[in-house]
Amino acid sequence: MDFKYIGKNIERPDAVKKVTGKSQFVDDIKFPGLLHAAILTPERAHARIVSIDTKDAGSSEGVVRVVTGKGCGFRFGDNVKDRTPMAVDKVLYTGEPVAAVIARNPHQAKQALKKIKVEYEPLPVYTDALDALKKDAVLLHENSGEYWHLPGIGPVAGTNIADRYTLKKGDVLKGFEEADETVEGEFIYPFGSCAAIEPHGAVAWFHEDNTIEVWSSSICPFVIREDLAHTYNVPVSDVRVHIPEVGGCFGYKSDVTIEQTVAYLASFVPGHPVKWILSRKEDFISSLIGHGIRTRMKIGAKKDGRLTAIKAEVYHSTGAFVDTGLHVMRGSTHNSTGTYEFPNCLLEGYSVYTNTPPIGAFRGYGHQESQFAVERLMDILARKLGMSPFELRDKNYLGPGKKTALGENLWETNGDVKKCADIVRKAVFSSKKPKEDKEYYYGRGFSASMKSPKGAPFSSKGCYLKFNVDGSVSINMGGAEVGQGLRTVVRQIAAETLKIAPERIRVYTEIDTQFSPWEWQTIGSMFTIQGGKAVYRAAIRAIEKLKQTASCVLKCDIDMLEYDGDYVFLRSDPSVRVPVPSLARGYMTDDGITIGEVVQTTADARLPRYSNPDANGQGSMGVTYTFGAQACELRIEKKTGRIIIDHFASSFDVGRVINPRQIRGQVVGGVMIALGASLYEELRFSGDGKALNPVFSKYRFANLKDAPLRQTVEFVETPGEIGPYGARGIGEHPLIGVAPAVLNAIYDAVGIDLYSIPVTPEKMLKAIEEKGKGK
Amino acid sequence: MPEKINFTVNGVPRTVEIEGWERVIDVLREKLDLTGTKKGCDDASCGACVIVMDGEAKRSCALPAKKMEGSDIVTIEGLTSGKKLHPIQKALIDAGAVQCGFCIPGIVMELYALLTADRNASDDRIKDALSRHFCRCTGYEAIFEGAKLARELLKKN
Repeated sequence: MDFKYIGKNIERPDAVKKVTGKSQFVDDIKFPGLLHAAILTPERAHARIVSIDTKDAGSSEGVVRVVTGKGCGFRFGDNVKDRTPMAVDKVLYTGEPVAAVIARNPHQAKQALKKIKVEYEPLPVYTDALDALKKDAVLLHENSGEYWHLPGIGPVAGTNIADRYTLKKGDVLKGFEEADETVEGEFIYPFGSCAAIEPHGAVAWFHEDNTIEVWSSSICPFVIREDLAHTYNVPVSDVRVHIPEVGGCFGYKSDVTIEQTVAYLASFVPGHPVKWILSRKEDFISSLIGHGIRTRMKIGAKKDGRLTAIKAEVYHSTGAFVDTGLHVMRGSTHNSTGTYEFPNCLLEGYSVYTNTPPIGAFRGYGHQESQFAVERLMDILARKLGMSPFELRDKNYLGPGKKTALGENLWETNGDVKKCADIVRKAVFSSKKPKEDKEYYYGRGFSASMKSPKGAPFSSKGCYLKFNVDGSVSINMGGAEVGQGLRTVVRQIAAETLKIAPERIRVYTEIDTQFSPWEWQTIGSMFTIQGGKAVYRAAIRAIEKLKQTASCVLKCDIDMLEYDGDYVFLRSDPSVRVPVPSLARGYMTDDGITIGEVVQTTADARLPRYSNPDANGQGSMGVTYTFGAQACELRIEKKTGRIIIDHFASSFDVGRVINPRQIRGQVVGGVMIALGASLYEELRFSGDGKALNPVFSKYRFANLKDAPLRQTVEFVETPGEIGPYGARGIGEHPLIGVAPAVLNAIYDAVGIDLYSIPVTPEKMLKAIEEKGKGK
Repeated sequence: MPEKINFTVNGVPRTVEIEGWERVIDVLREKLDLTGTKKGCDDASCGACVIVMDGEAKRSCALPAKKMEGSDIVTIEGLTSGKKLHPIQKALIDAGAVQCGFCIPGIVMELYALLTADRNASDDRIKDALSRHFCRCTGYEAIFEGAKLARELLKKN
């Protein structure tokens, strides 16, 4: 296909405002009479609140109101209503708001906070799912069985299990009986923070007319709107949520995060906007964190390498509330097979309440955690079978004619993992590996990967498209631009479909539930595929409207007409034509009488036939997958254990590249986050649940000097059948194969199998020393 | 007790009353409406708040407001003249270094300090300067490319 604007490096519409510092993020907006909130968090991770003394704080300078959760009579949540805006009678994690001061300025609020005295009665603390699962464990939620939840999900009463999921395919016992070799292991992907450079922040304002207005650094204005309307018993249309520019998301600004807390505070001071911008420490422990997944996995194969069975148990330390975490566990569980067809599967997942911050989305949404296990085991199994890891994988890749664990059929149009694998294999493995020298060990590792959207059946994205009187076009959507570049993608897809130069298409800036079309949330790497499709459909509808009016003007049937962006004309005689601008507001005839519709259209798009799981945990819950492969070449410094990434290669079958520069930026940026998780980053908690490193000076955030010395990024383009121009999702995929590729390379370098990340220099050095001692 | 201080921001002399607890970033953002300077952390780690003070890149979240007395400050708002972007800003756009944009003002100011002092700054010096900044979006590749491009554009100017 020949494209005019797709596949080109069109400039981002938001770039100039961003480099000039003029983009408005939530903390940049000015409000009349703004009040500032400061939040008190507990010293203990699990305790009963005996008393809270707020008297001194209340009379502190500038203080308008002190608020606690005492008497808060509601729980909220999208999947399971198990959340409270502040601790009510117990605290469940050290980031939980216990009390808040609302004051004239942030300094006054913080000063007053120091005067609040809280007395606690300690309870046992669990920071790991396995501890909270023990028989005698104290329950974090005594009444979890009574919480409202969506059908088919939710807590198991009388336990700390917050959600469980089982997928059965074939007969796993028989599958392992048929196996000639099996391998197993327990893999840990620890807690981390999405750590966008813009911390979470929100402003809530309860107006005197009973309407509620919110500004937030969120990617789900419509979820917030519906959730607040439910809590405060007002029509959904009376809640207005604004999303200004968002300074990075990476998952943890999806779902409701801090908005219910800020709204709760604002409800005590109607008429006044109340703002809470999180400090970095608060952003680490009082918003949402990521991962916290332990995967126990066993796989088996015949001598010839044909896989026969997989058994996986995914234990998710889901934190104090499960509402935002259970689908991470579910996605992690049913995608734990990675890119391989296992005829027999038993995949079980448990989200378990723990005294840690609630888990939410982290770019990759459960996939990198469990595919870390399967991709490491594939290398270990290949060794046991005496087979090359590439040959073992080649024999088992999902592809046309194969079925996923969910029972979904795959077709050629789902993409080609083998092609991606061959690309990175050539890039990394075709030259000779350097020999060990005085300073370094050298290693190379590979991993394939796949990701499904893991959305919701009703997830859809909308588009409002308007032709202006000069033939330019305005587009309004509900998708949150968090840096991924969706505004550019919208512009390019609209330009291509409408045959108009991108400069004449203006894409929306902020989202405002009062004006924007409905969108569930901008998640799951789904904007290009769903949002792009909505744009495409709206554009096609606009062209139809132009032709409809033109057919009256030119006095002919619609199907005799063509459209080229400037004119609608008669196909058989292009000189018979009408300019597009003269059709935009309807066509004004010579006597002023105007005919035809104003050219403004709406459209939406969702994935076809996305379903809930059936009794076996199977169903149409992927619908679209992007497959890929990644590989790395690394060096381990003998003296320090430090790992240097010399070369990292990634290839994905994205169906269609919309913007080459942006898509490379997505891949390189995603790889860096996962390298951070693989080598440096971990949000650590002490046994009593205190976060040990919730500040940037202690949380080892990767910088420029940690970046791979070289990166190969290539794409395969097997067009898909769902997205616009064949495009598939790519946002989260670059993270998924990174940890296994790195740890497979570590084995290649020093012959040590590691099962957990991050592989810090200390950990690497210790492992090498222990191997030397023959442990 | 409030205290009056005098300084210059983006070429304009200013007099501001400050409280003892205020940091430079508070004065810039809250008192002067210069919200282009961003706050990403509380311990001077991320670099989003970098401004140029008397020719040097400084972390405005860690500096007491008192330090502004008598100084000459440039913020991100001071780099553009009318609609004309500074070459550093243009280079970062051209290299595809802009994603969410939250870290970008700090990076622009870091490069402004570096390349104003040394138009021929070596790749290593650029790397040293940029490695003091956190970016979660780009993986740094395009930022480093943008910085090198900025150096070239400035030589041509």
